[in-house]
Amino acid sequence: MSKRTSEAARARIAAQRETLRKQEQRKRVTMIVTIAVVVVIAVAFAVWSVRQGASEKVAGGLAPVTVQEDGTVVMAKSGVTAPVVDVFEDFQCPACKQFEETSGSTLKNLAAEGKAKVVYHPITIFGQEPTKGNSLRAASAARCVTDGQQWLAYHDKLYKNQPSETVTGFTADELIKWGKEAGVTAPDFDNCVREQRNVAAHQQFSEKTMSTQKLTGTPTIKLDGKDLDTSVAFVPNSLREAVESAGK
Amino acid sequence: MVQLASGTSVSERLQPAKPALSWVTTAARVVLAGVLIVAGALKIGAPALSVQAVRAYQLLPDSVAQVVGYGLPVLEIITGLLLLVGLFTRAAAVVGGVLMVAFVIGIASAWARGLRIDCGCFGGDGTLAAGQDPNYFWELLRDFGLLVCAAWIVVRPASRFSLDSALGFTGERETTDEDGSDEGEDDGA
Repeated sequence: MSKRTSEAARARIAAQRETLRKQEQRKRVTMIVTIAVVVVIAVAFAVWSVRQGASEKVAGGLAPVTVQEDGTVVMAKSGVTAPVVDVFEDFQCPACKQFEETSGSTLKNLAAEGKAKVVYHPITIFGQEPTKGNSLRAASAARCVTDGQQWLAYHDKLYKNQPSETVTGFTADELIKWGKEAGVTAPDFDNCVREQRNVAAHQQFSEKTMSTQKLTGTPTIKLDGKDLDTSVAFVPNSLREAVESAGK
Repeated sequence: MVQLASGTSVSERLQPAKPALSWVTTAARVVLAGVLIVAGALKIGAPALSVQAVRAYQLLPDSVAQVVGYGLPVLEIITGLLLLVGLFTRAAAVVGGVLMVAFVIGIASAWARGLRIDCGCFGGDGTLAAGQDPNYFWELLRDFGLLVCAAWIVVRPASRFSLDSALGFTGERETTDEDGSDEGEDDGA
């Protein structure tokens, strides 16, 4: 009698244990499957995201670059007048640097392929020091460059060496040094940079541009006069697609 | 009669109290998951902007900002998905809560340092348009509210409409403990 009870109890306990073991096993399997699925999703997202953010390489040469009278710079193959991509940028603005790093090469390629006329409009949006002064000195120095190709090389150099928004940077010595590195050959470049000869003209140009273009910030990228959303402008593929379809 | 009535009402009130709380957890899950998924989805398509938004806080070195800019949207979406389906709810809520703490610290420190930035929470590059003012207070309030959701889920992870409960994961810690003592007795016998 007591033997039978203990047997029954033992069987019950064994059954209970079995259920628990199964539950544990199910949990382990679910955990492994979940981790595997999470890893797969994460990798897929990461790969896609990296591809979204990947910049183009400047493949061939550049389209001809011309410095305009008003301080804007046009990059286009001869005869290409549309679609127009306007880039309103400030050398001191971190987002402009990010745009340049991400999509700058796409614009160069599009221009070289004859698929767009790119117009750079360096302006100063900052009203407070040290950012305002930094921006003015850099933009003024860029105006000392008369050759288009050299201007573009200098433009890229300025972004590469952009100072933090909290310190005084873009000193005359630095600006001259980077000019040399970018191959600037303008005869009076050193003095032009040091004397900040173009600050007034640049400030005037900035104010006029901001009001006529109704700019609210930099970088502002316009495609045929219409603001391009940042989620397009900062994604090289989307930017290329938008410009190409505007050219059709 | 009165006693009886009040007695039953108390027991009735006690009985459904637990399910009601599990509904609260479900609601917290959906809210936290929804915000995380939307925030992640809006950022993941333009990682360069996301990196820029992280840089705008001026808290992390550049290389770390890159990693966070690319990784955060992925982490947000995955955490959100786990919370939404209710799988490993507690662990996912811990991650969600840690994220909210990080966001609160980031926004509060931007506010304290007098930075004028957009939180970049739902995409964008972290810059404010001219004439736009930062929304630090509301951003902090929102993230704090989401932190409360996460904390609630961590404390009471059992909830309705969750894979955890469908798979019998909820409350299984107690069962394991019981099992442990059972086993001990059994071995002794």
